[in-house]
Amino acid sequence: MKPAPTAMLDRRGVIWVVATLLISMTPQLAGMPLHLVPITLLPIAWRLLAEFRGWKPMPIVLRIFATAVAVASLVITYGGLMGRSAAVSLLVLMLSLKLLETFRIRDARIVASLSLFLCGTQFLFSQGVPMIVYIIACLLSSLIAFMYLQRCEAFDVLGGAPETDRSLLSELGFGLKLLALALPVGLTLFLLFPRWGSPLWGLPEDALDSRSGLSDSMSPGSIQNLFMDDSPAFRASFEAGMPANSELYWRGPVFWDFDGKTWQTGYLSRNLRADSKPDPDNAPFRYEVQMEPTEQKWLFALDYPALIPAKTKLTIDYQLIASRPVTELKSYAMASNPNFQDSPVLRQTLLRSAINLPEGYNPKTAEMMSEWRREAGSDTEIVRRALDYFHQHGFRYTLNPPLLTRDTVDEFLFGTRAGFCEHYASAFTVMMRMAGIPARVVTGYQGGYFNSIGSYVLVRQSDAHAWSEVWVRGSGWTRIDPTAAVAPERVEQGAMESLDQRRYMLDFQWVRNVRNTFDLFQRGWNNWVVAFSADRQSRLFSVFGWDMLGPAKLVLAMIVIILVVGSIVFMLVPILLKFRSSSDPDPVQRSWKRFIRKLEKAGFVSRPSMAATELASSASSQLEYKGDAISKIAELYTRCRYSQDPGSRQELADLIRRFQPRSTS
Amino acid sequence: MATVAATPARRSIRDNITGWIMQRVRSKRGPMTPPFVLEYRHIFVLPTKFGWGFGFMLVFMALGGLNFNNNMALILVFLLATVAQLTTLIAYRNLSGLKIDNAWSEPVFCGDDAQFRVFVSNGDDRQRFAVQAGFRKPQDCRDLKPKSSDSMILRHPTTQRGWLEMPSFRLETRFPLGFFRAWSWIFPHSRCLVYPAPAKKAPPLPKTGRGQAGKAEKGDGEEVHGLRKYQAGDSMQRVAWRASARHDELYSLEMETPRQDACELDWDLLRGDDIETRLSILTAWVIAADHKQLAYSLRLPGIEIEAGLGPAQRAQCLESLALYAA
Repeated sequence: MKPAPTAMLDRRGVIWVVATLLISMTPQLAGMPLHLVPITLLPIAWRLLAEFRGWKPMPIVLRIFATAVAVASLVITYGGLMGRSAAVSLLVLMLSLKLLETFRIRDARIVASLSLFLCGTQFLFSQGVPMIVYIIACLLSSLIAFMYLQRCEAFDVLGGAPETDRSLLSELGFGLKLLALALPVGLTLFLLFPRWGSPLWGLPEDALDSRSGLSDSMSPGSIQNLFMDDSPAFRASFEAGMPANSELYWRGPVFWDFDGKTWQTGYLSRNLRADSKPDPDNAPFRYEVQMEPTEQKWLFALDYPALIPAKTKLTIDYQLIASRPVTELKSYAMASNPNFQDSPVLRQTLLRSAINLPEGYNPKTAEMMSEWRREAGSDTEIVRRALDYFHQHGFRYTLNPPLLTRDTVDEFLFGTRAGFCEHYASAFTVMMRMAGIPARVVTGYQGGYFNSIGSYVLVRQSDAHAWSEVWVRGSGWTRIDPTAAVAPERVEQGAMESLDQRRYMLDFQWVRNVRNTFDLFQRGWNNWVVAFSADRQSRLFSVFGWDMLGPAKLVLAMIVIILVVGSIVFMLVPILLKFRSSSDPDPVQRSWKRFIRKLEKAGFVSRPSMAATELASSASSQLEYKGDAISKIAELYTRCRYSQDPGSRQELADLIRRFQPRSTS
Repeated sequence: MATVAATPARRSIRDNITGWIMQRVRSKRGPMTPPFVLEYRHIFVLPTKFGWGFGFMLVFMALGGLNFNNNMALILVFLLATVAQLTTLIAYRNLSGLKIDNAWSEPVFCGDDAQFRVFVSNGDDRQRFAVQAGFRKPQDCRDLKPKSSDSMILRHPTTQRGWLEMPSFRLETRFPLGFFRAWSWIFPHSRCLVYPAPAKKAPPLPKTGRGQAGKAEKGDGEEVHGLRKYQAGDSMQRVAWRASARHDELYSLEMETPRQDACELDWDLLRGDDIETRLSILTAWVIAADHKQLAYSLRLPGIEIEAGLGPAQRAQCLESLALYAA
């Protein structure tokens, strides 16, 4: 038996379903590779045109063809369907293609529901403050879409729903009322629905996308991309005292291996644990770091970390590497001691990998360095000479350096002489190694914006930085920042101030200031909502002295509160959801109703069966009204009913507006 | 064959269950016969198929949100779940307080659909949206304005002459979002008179006019009878303009239909055919005679209806035919 076909969509339904889909796919569209955007939008445009031009559904062959083309271009773009962005992009694309065959209520409901699912997936990428607007927009549009689909389905037996004179405002009002009524119970569920302390399943690591942030290798341009990205990397609130801005070196990945083009973390350094670390009790700086998800394992700390957060290891080169990638907001307490001596003695294996260089690259630099080696008395002298070299030979700090090809260091030192931290750190480290001095590249963040209202340091992706460390016998690894030799303001004031040009159109100082101040809300949102977890939940009632609530008690509390809050909402429903008919479209009727309301306010009891004149005489006697206004209004109303004269209509409205039932009594 | 055999069996089980439920409903919920007002004990609310699907999606999203402790996804899920839960209340309120005044149908000929008209009224000061009515599937739908009444039409096929008891029907609504359906059963005490189906190829009307030709029928007709003063309601085409102009007063033509001999519609004229065929031929004759404005009498075994004409005569004859030996 063939199931009865479900009802066809009407125009309002189509518009709202398309609106829901468009709203929910907005963040994903913004993050998609550019050429996928028109592919995604095309089916939506077709569906809208089909609605307004009355086109028939596409033949199935064409739809399959369109789907195949779209999926193929997606697979080619992402190199497969693994990874969160690829999977969600596939969802977006499929939903958009689904519109090609969405001519029935059933399909429209699927699209609207899955749009909400899509909305849910977007929070895997970001849970920032702008997403609050996004979630509300998604909810409102989908609720309105569901409402119209329901109407469309109900009135299908009559061949279409009657036109309502609902304006956009009243539609939104309907959605807002539903949400407002749902909010108390929804929030109770959010706070008290028992959370899982640890995930039942994790993301497979190959499903992670390399998101913006520092990564485990540094090739030309990898930090350059970060300069464009103003999203927060982490926030640190210091307990007491704060280092000067120029001392804020947040340590991240440390690179040992160089192949002439790309720096990579060393196998040894990644796996060997630090044999000593600063004593946390003597550490001068104590702070709490709230880190945004990076999909990477590095945690960031000032030199040198004295505490090791849970499930994290401290490597021999003082990188903090977590056991799992940071996929959600992460907070940890940290203490740092900048005066710690890092490896006064260096193992042979490490020493060897710290001076190792690929054969046959950068001959000119090698020549210069061997000359310096001959002339110099000590390692420190070579270091100073290299920094002076950067300082005196017209090196420029720029975000748009000329492209380097094979012998990157040669070309940089003797040719282009323009670059940013990445070039300087890389070139400097190579120079040191050529001179036989153990050196390595450290990446991380430098500086940060001190938000004085919230008194915390905000470090953005654009604060990414690279510097060098050289090993000096006796004093151990020492930080050398060659960029500071070229552009000291980079270190003192931050990356943006050291640039002459704007990075993008709205890259003004005041915009950055507004954003930095606004970050306060983001931090609060992070603290109170995004970071809410099973642990925080169990301490929810600690102000009442109930610590560590288990799931059973939480459920009990949830039920009690829902019963209380729910019954309040229950009583509010009749008030908020009265669904009064929208005002009468007929102006005469509207005025007349107003008139009756005025009479009723004065104490007159009307019956719907009363004719106008009957009502007037009854009202006059009941209210002991002495003027002739009532009878005049009734007469005029009767005239308006049976004539099309707009003048008397206006007169009636005026009379009623001026009418005072008690004025003459 | 197997499918043919299986279908009635399955249906009978379902019918049994439905019948049992109905019986329980009637015994527990009190009389649900119009006129009555829908109260909380009459109204049932359950998820629709779409509601189940949506709920399943929410559970799926909640599992994901809990696993990754993704708080915004959880907020989304919990808000949607609460909104969905809230719609049960709204759907219930959309029906509660609705008054079912009456259900009633004009007689129909067998084979045509009986059209039961269900009168409902909304005495409350709030609007009710998309209230549907139907026997099995919804057949009609209305928005009910505050303090208003309306009627909905329910069709039911007829297969047999005689009285058709109006089956129990449902008032239901999926307002506002279609996740839940609130419904109430109504057990009307209404019935529809089903006339026999008129025979398609009936023999011509018998011309056995035993009754006297009566007076010509005044009123509508083809021949002019005379003039009379214009009365409100007279057709403009009947106004005798010339006569009116002459007398400064409106006159209208009075028409008449010359009466022909009454015809006698007799059961015994149709010897040989079976009962139903005879009845349907007689029905066709009644209709034809009525259409031609012939006075007619009807004789059935045990029933005799005097010659006459007009709606009452037609109704009486057709009713006797419908209920003959039933």
